[in-house]
Amino acid sequence: MRVLRSDMSSWKRGKRASHSFWKQSIEALVVFSLCVKISGCSDVDELMSTYPLIDGHNDLALQLRIRHNNCLSQVDLHNLSKVSTDISRFKAGHVQTQMFAVYVLCGAQQKDAVRLTLEQIDVVRRMCTEYQEFELVTSVQELKDSKDNGKIACLISIEGGHSIDSSLPALRMFYQLGVRSMGLTHSCNTPWAESSSNFYPVYKRENNSLTSFGKVVVEEMNRLGMIVDLSHTSWNTSSAVLSHSKAPVIFSHSSSYSICNHSRNVPDNLLLELKKNQGLIMVNLHNTFVSCRDEANISHVADHFDYIRKLIGAESIGIGGDYEGATSFPHGLEDVSKYPALIQELLRRNWTENELAGVLRNNFLRVFEQVERVRDQLSSKLPSEVQIPFEEAHNPCRLILKRPDPRSPSSDQSSGAEGGLPALLILATVLMLSRIFLIE
Amino acid sequence: MSETPLIDGHNDLPWQLLSQFNNQLNKVDLNTLANTHTNIPKIKDGRLGAQFWAAYVPCDTQYKDAVRQTLEQIDVIHRMCQKYPEIFMFATSSQDILDAFKMNKTASLIGVEGGHSLDSSLGTLRTMYQLGVRYLTLTHSCNTPWVDNWLVDTGSEPSEHKGLSSFGKQVIAEMNRLGMLIDLAHVSEEVMNQVLTLSKAPVIFSHSSAYTICPHKRNVPDDVLRRVNETKGIVMVNFYNDYVTCSNTASLSDVADHFDHIKKVAGADIIGFGGDYDGVPRVPEGLEDVSKVPNLVAELLKRGWTDEEVKAALGNNLLRVMSEVEKVRNKCTHARTQIHTHTQIT
Repeated sequence: MRVLRSDMSSWKRGKRASHSFWKQSIEALVVFSLCVKISGCSDVDELMSTYPLIDGHNDLALQLRIRHNNCLSQVDLHNLSKVSTDISRFKAGHVQTQMFAVYVLCGAQQKDAVRLTLEQIDVVRRMCTEYQEFELVTSVQELKDSKDNGKIACLISIEGGHSIDSSLPALRMFYQLGVRSMGLTHSCNTPWAESSSNFYPVYKRENNSLTSFGKVVVEEMNRLGMIVDLSHTSWNTSSAVLSHSKAPVIFSHSSSYSICNHSRNVPDNLLLELKKNQGLIMVNLHNTFVSCRDEANISHVADHFDYIRKLIGAESIGIGGDYEGATSFPHGLEDVSKYPALIQELLRRNWTENELAGVLRNNFLRVFEQVERVRDQLSSKLPSEVQIPFEEAHNPCRLILKRPDPRSPSSDQSSGAEGGLPALLILATVLMLSRIFLIE
Repeated sequence: MSETPLIDGHNDLPWQLLSQFNNQLNKVDLNTLANTHTNIPKIKDGRLGAQFWAAYVPCDTQYKDAVRQTLEQIDVIHRMCQKYPEIFMFATSSQDILDAFKMNKTASLIGVEGGHSLDSSLGTLRTMYQLGVRYLTLTHSCNTPWVDNWLVDTGSEPSEHKGLSSFGKQVIAEMNRLGMLIDLAHVSEEVMNQVLTLSKAPVIFSHSSAYTICPHKRNVPDDVLRRVNETKGIVMVNFYNDYVTCSNTASLSDVADHFDHIKKVAGADIIGFGGDYDGVPRVPEGLEDVSKVPNLVAELLKRGWTDEEVKAALGNNLLRVMSEVEKVRNKCTHARTQIHTHTQIT
C-alpha cells in the first residue's frame, strides 16, 4: 500500500522531534514517505508518459476569439498569459490529445451561428497546422500515430446543436472539416433537443425533449462516425439519446450529480444507462460542478472519480477539464499543467495503473473506435435527406427557396428579369406565414 | 475530344436539384431526369470531361442564411458524386481533372457563385476551400459589403465600393494564397480591372461572353479580354441567348461568333466553354442541352480553328490557368493568413 505525502515540511518537522523511539519511528516513517513520494512522483510521470492524457473539452478557441479576434499572428501559443492553456503547459501536464471546442454563443442561434462555427473551426485548423507541436487528427489511427510522433493531437468538437442550424447537410460539411464530436446543446434549446439550462427562453417544449428530427440528427451522427456528446443537454434529452444511439456516447465535460447536485452534472440513473451504452463520462474540473461552491480542491475532484467508479466502473470515466470554458478551478488544478496532481491523488486512493490508463486515454480510444465501427457498419446507409419542418425551425432568418414551377426563371435570368424570383419568394413567405397563423 | 477533356466552367444542375427536388437526391435518377439540360446520358453524349458545378444560392439569402444554404449546395454536389461514382469523380486540382479523364469519368469541381455566400468572412472562405470549392464568383447579381456587381454598370444599382473595398482586396489576396480561382463573371467592369491588376494569379470568367458581339453588361469588353490575355487567364463563353445575341433567340453559329471574336482580339489561349446550362431558360438552337456541345466543336473546326486551338479551348487553357493558380498557392505556403473576420463597412 502506498503512502504518499505531499507536504515536504513534515519531513523537516520530523527531524526536530524528541530523541525517542517515537522520534526514530517518525523519522523512519517520514523518510520512507518521502522516498515513496519521490518515487510516487516518478510513478505519475512514468504513468502519464506511457498513457498521456486525452482531454474531452477545452475552450481555447473561444478565448482566441474573445481576446484576439482569432488573430493567431498576435499570439505565441507556446506561452500565453491570462489563460490556463498553452503548449508549454500542455507538455508539463502530459496532455497528448485535446478536444478543442468550436463553441459559438447561443445568442447566435437564429442569426449567424453557422458562419461563426466555420470561423472557429478555421481557427482550430490553423492553430493545429501552424504549430508543429500540434497535429490535427480525425480518426483513432491518426490519434495513435500522433502519440508515436510526439505530437499533441487536436480533435475538433462542436459545442451546441445551434451551430448546425437544423441542417443535416451542414452537419455533414462540419464532419468533412474534421469535426468528430458534437454536443447536442449548449445552454439553449435547439428546435430539436433540450438543454439542461433555462437561461435562454427559446424552443420550449413539453414532453418532446428530443424531437423526431433530433433522432434523425443522432442517426446521421452515428452514420458519419461523429461522437454524440451529451454535456449541457437536459436529462430527458440524454435519456432519449442513450436509447436511440447505435454507438456509445460521451459526456465530454460533466461530473457526478450525487456528489454535487448541479443540473450540469449526471445523475445516477443516467450513469447506469451510460454504462449499458458503453459510453464515457469525462469529469469536469470546474469548481461549481465539483463542489457546488466557489472553491474546491483535488480531493473534491477525486471524490467524483471514486463515486463514478463505484457505480459504473473505472472503464466509464475520462477527464474533460473545461479549461478556458470556466473561470474557477480547484486549488492545485489551476491550469492544464496540473493534471498530474489529480492522477497522483487517484494513485493515493489506490486506483490501479490499468484503471488510470483507462481514465487517461484508453477508455476514450475504446469509445472512439466503437463509434468508427458503427460508422463502418452503416456504410451502406444513404446520407439522410430529412429536413426539419419549417414551423419547428421557427427561424426568421430561414428562407424557403422551393419553387412550384420547374420551368420558372433560374439563376442567370433572374439577374435580368426583376420580377420572377423575388415574387415567388414573397408568395412562399406569405403562404408560410398564413400557415403559422392558422396553427396559432 | 478524345485527347483533351471538355472542361465546362459553369453548370447549375445543383440549383435545379434544389428548386425542383429540394435536394432529395435519393428520389432522383440522374440517368432518366427529363426536364433539365443536364443528365447522365446527355453528359456522356456531350463528352463532358470536367464540370464546375455551381454552388449557387440567391441574393435574397444575403444577410440571412446564405452560408448554411451554400453548405447545403456544396453537400448536394458531394452526394451527387458519391451516388454515381462510375460517372463522376470529385476533383480539386488540375491533376485530378487529368486523372478523371484517363478513367473516362467526368471530373466534378465546385464553384461558389456569389460572394454573399461568404458572409464577409475569410474563415468561411478557407473552410469552403477545405470542402473542395475551387472557384468563387465574386458576386452574383447583388453587391456584397466588399465588391460591386454587374448591375452597377447598367445603372440600375448604385456602386457601393467603386469596385473592391479594402476588405475585398484582402479577399483577393487570400484567394491567391489559398489557390482558389477568382471568377469575374457577374462583377462590374471596375471590379474586372481592379482584380486583373491586383491578382497574383490568372483569373477566370466562368460563364461570360464577348461584349462587342452582344453588348450586355454580363459580357466582357475587348480591353478586358486583352488584359486577360496579358495575365494568361480564361474567358469561358456563356451560351445563354440573351448574352449571345442580346435577344431571345440564338443559334450555334452565333455562339461560334463569340469564340471567333475572342480569338481575334485576344488569342485562342484565353478561351473556354462556360455553357451556363440549367442556369438559364433559353439556349441556342443546336445547343439545346449538354449533349450538343460536340457540334460546337465541329463548327469551330469548320471555321478553320486548328486542332491545337480547339484543344486549348476545350480544356488546355483552363488546365493552364488552374496549374498556375496552384503554383502561386505553393509559393505563398509560408505566408501568414489574413485574419480579419468582419468587414469594416457599416
